[in-house]
Amino acid sequence: MNYFTITLTINRETMVFSVTEEDTLLDVIREKAGLTGTKQGCGCEQCGACTVLLNHKAVNSCCILALQADNGVIETIEGLESPEKLHPIQQAYIEEGAVQCGFCTPGMIMSTKALLDQVPNPDTSQIRSALSGNICRCTGYTKIEAAVKNAARKLEEVSHESI
Amino acid sequence: MNPYKIAAHKIPRHESAAKVTGKALYTDDLSLPKMVYGMIIRSPHAHAQVTHIDLTEAEKTEGYIGALLPWEVPDTFYNCSGTPPSPLLMKDEKVLTTHPLCVGDRILAIAARTPQALLKAAKAVQISYTILPSVHTIKDALRKDAAPIQPHISKNNILAVREACMGDTQKGFEEADYIFEDDFHTPATQHVAMEPTSCICDFSDGRTLNIWSNSQTPYQERRILAELFQMEENDIRIVKPVMGGGFGARQQLHNQPAAALLSKKIRRPVKLINTREEEMYASVVRHEMQTHLKFGVTKQGILTAFQTEFYLNAGPYTTHTPTIVAAASRKFQYRIPNYLFNGYTVATNGPTAGAFRGYGNSQLTFGRELMMSRIARRLHLDPVDFRLRNHVKTGEKFPAAASAVTSCGIEKCARRCQEIRREIDEKEGLADNEDIRQAWGVSFACHGSGPSSKEGMSSAVILVSDDGGIRLITGSADIGQGSETMLSQIAAECLGIPLSHVKITAADTGITPYDTGTFGSSQTYVSGNAVVLACQDVILKLTDALSDCYDSADITFGEDKKFHIPSENLCLTLEEAAHQVVFGIKGAVIIGNSSYKAKESPNPFAVCMVKAEYEKKTNSIILRHVIEVVDVGTPINPLTVIGQIEGGVAQGVGYALTEALEHSRHAGKVISSDLLTYRVPLICDMPEIHGEYIENFEPTGPLGAKSVGELTTVPVAPAIADAVSQASGREINKIPLSEFFFIKPNKK
Repeated sequence: MNYFTITLTINRETMVFSVTEEDTLLDVIREKAGLTGTKQGCGCEQCGACTVLLNHKAVNSCCILALQADNGVIETIEGLESPEKLHPIQQAYIEEGAVQCGFCTPGMIMSTKALLDQVPNPDTSQIRSALSGNICRCTGYTKIEAAVKNAARKLEEVSHESI
Repeated sequence: MNPYKIAAHKIPRHESAAKVTGKALYTDDLSLPKMVYGMIIRSPHAHAQVTHIDLTEAEKTEGYIGALLPWEVPDTFYNCSGTPPSPLLMKDEKVLTTHPLCVGDRILAIAARTPQALLKAAKAVQISYTILPSVHTIKDALRKDAAPIQPHISKNNILAVREACMGDTQKGFEEADYIFEDDFHTPATQHVAMEPTSCICDFSDGRTLNIWSNSQTPYQERRILAELFQMEENDIRIVKPVMGGGFGARQQLHNQPAAALLSKKIRRPVKLINTREEEMYASVVRHEMQTHLKFGVTKQGILTAFQTEFYLNAGPYTTHTPTIVAAASRKFQYRIPNYLFNGYTVATNGPTAGAFRGYGNSQLTFGRELMMSRIARRLHLDPVDFRLRNHVKTGEKFPAAASAVTSCGIEKCARRCQEIRREIDEKEGLADNEDIRQAWGVSFACHGSGPSSKEGMSSAVILVSDDGGIRLITGSADIGQGSETMLSQIAAECLGIPLSHVKITAADTGITPYDTGTFGSSQTYVSGNAVVLACQDVILKLTDALSDCYDSADITFGEDKKFHIPSENLCLTLEEAAHQVVFGIKGAVIIGNSSYKAKESPNPFAVCMVKAEYEKKTNSIILRHVIEVVDVGTPINPLTVIGQIEGGVAQGVGYALTEALEHSRHAGKVISSDLLTYRVPLICDMPEIHGEYIENFEPTGPLGAKSVGELTTVPVAPAIADAVSQASGREINKIPLSEFFFIKPNKK
């Protein structure tokens, strides 16, 4: 088996990993970086539980090879909160009751972040399109949709405050 | 007006912050020193005999650790179901087998150092089979010449028969002005909990077995394992970490017996997680159902008799099936003098079936409610009024039931649904033109609160700290539905303390007391009542201790949730009382405890209405609205109650529209092996959901509560089928509807 050295910036921290050509980005995040917040639900990019941001885009980390992500900037669920407080998206998910079993939640929140980074005020159809790769079996998605809208309002307030 | 301070208030679940930050630890997030990765090597054939197993190549792969072979497991049958011991649970499966009876049957287990090494080793295992004939449908299994699949239980593939009857159906049909009868079919479906079936088993020392697993029924699983391995239950500890859904799938043992024995053999802890493909066909499914229903009804629209022949496809192992058939017989919510239910557990070589949200109720209600709508329309009666006219009321009994209904708010549910429907129609109209036709469908449903067999039991221990904070210790397993938060609310309410003063430890057989398990929608009613009793014990013990402290006999705990000590003219909160008791001269440690055995299984009720649209030119259907209004007594946590309705609706939408484990006759196996070939609803598929509850109070429930979890999914599929039938003008007796129509997303 061949080993390669890759460099990833995960949650603003640059790290070096030794990986094989078979290791996925998810393997590196969970097993080598120890960030178990990102989940594996299917292993074949069908459920979205492993969604992370790679160079600011939402990807299914279970089907990206670690080598493909070399030099990439990665954001995982652990990178959202600051020491003082939760990220507005996390806060919105809690307030709306959008969290049930929670297994899809990290991926769902990362897809939400990717959407709101690009489209600060998404309409229902944009939300549905952005989250249609993330399966939730508990909530019926109603409260997730509400959480995304709530998060958009919160982020807007934050940006007003910072101005 | 809400009489409670903490109950019946919307509370985000206590572990929400851990879940949104990725800190919540699920089974796969845990690891132990020296832990290795395990996998089950499964039969690719529906029925075969293993003729040879060759590990030579597997042993050569890098990182290979060892294997557990079929002749290294106990040569005894067991039943994996997480229900208390019952004659209905027949023992017919082994930990590993050389005679697989379905695709996915467990042949051997292997272990390797890393997940990657495991895959390579698994691919190198060579197993030779002689393929044997298999049967997959209920009809084929019941043919006279069909070979028996479990010959030690049955010669004709009917593993169990359940009869429930009342009155004389023949007489009832004679008294009827009209007879309505038809056949209905529902498919095998899979739970698709987002967290795959997972366990870590540590049996390295061969004496004590520690398991971390996503289990709904840890105490039952411990009992079954102890019997299977000839161990004392105390030497087995099952811990349920944070759990990513269950929906019934984990009301049983899966890979734990094999992983435990593999761990014992290789003397290392083993982590074993199903792939999604294994989840689809090699874990457990909801039973495929075939039923014939017959109704007798008078011209005035009064039901005189009901009869059903109800067949469930169990797969090769009985697991829960006879109890699921029995549960289905107890959900007929209409007043009927003559009732006959004949239910059959049928063995096939299809995927093994077990518990799934609804537990038999989903299947029988599908046909029954479609028939109720059909009968009403043929008699020119309103389908809601026809149902209400025949519905049991508080104090009346379901057919063949031992006890009466203790609370029933179905009419309120129906009227509220009608109001919401009117509002939608006033806003959007009901289209009927050249291109499309929209229509509403309706269904009623009920369920139990706790197993309908009334075997629900739970217990709780409450440790009171010197500052009045409490540690609630319960065996009840939160599988994602939010029961830990709900039980904490009950405790805080009963003791008059803030919710933040309640901390909970749950579902760890090493330290928490017995609970029957998370099934049968038990947690609110059964575990909730156990918490109420433990709180009463705390109050009693604190009162006694205060009596000692103050040498006073007339101390009471008032409606204001305070201890009144008239002799001292004192009034203490629980916090103040605890401080006084612990540090007083006659100090005492306060530990409340309880044991609760359910005497009832009160029925929650639901009414569901669906607005569907049929596009004539494309033969397409679109779901626009689903209204579901429930009577769950007091909603302890309205946020989770509404969440349960919305989630239940989504599972009902999948059941009605797209979900079915498809089976290839040619290949003899299930072809729905992933989430593309088995379509669960995505966010873009969902209709608008209007979930509500009505005000009601269950006299036997904790703070007036009944269950909600399973109930919510039951009426959805029949209401959808009814709406689609009205919109398309076609009779529907079978789901999923994607077999007959194109399904379009509800674009907004």
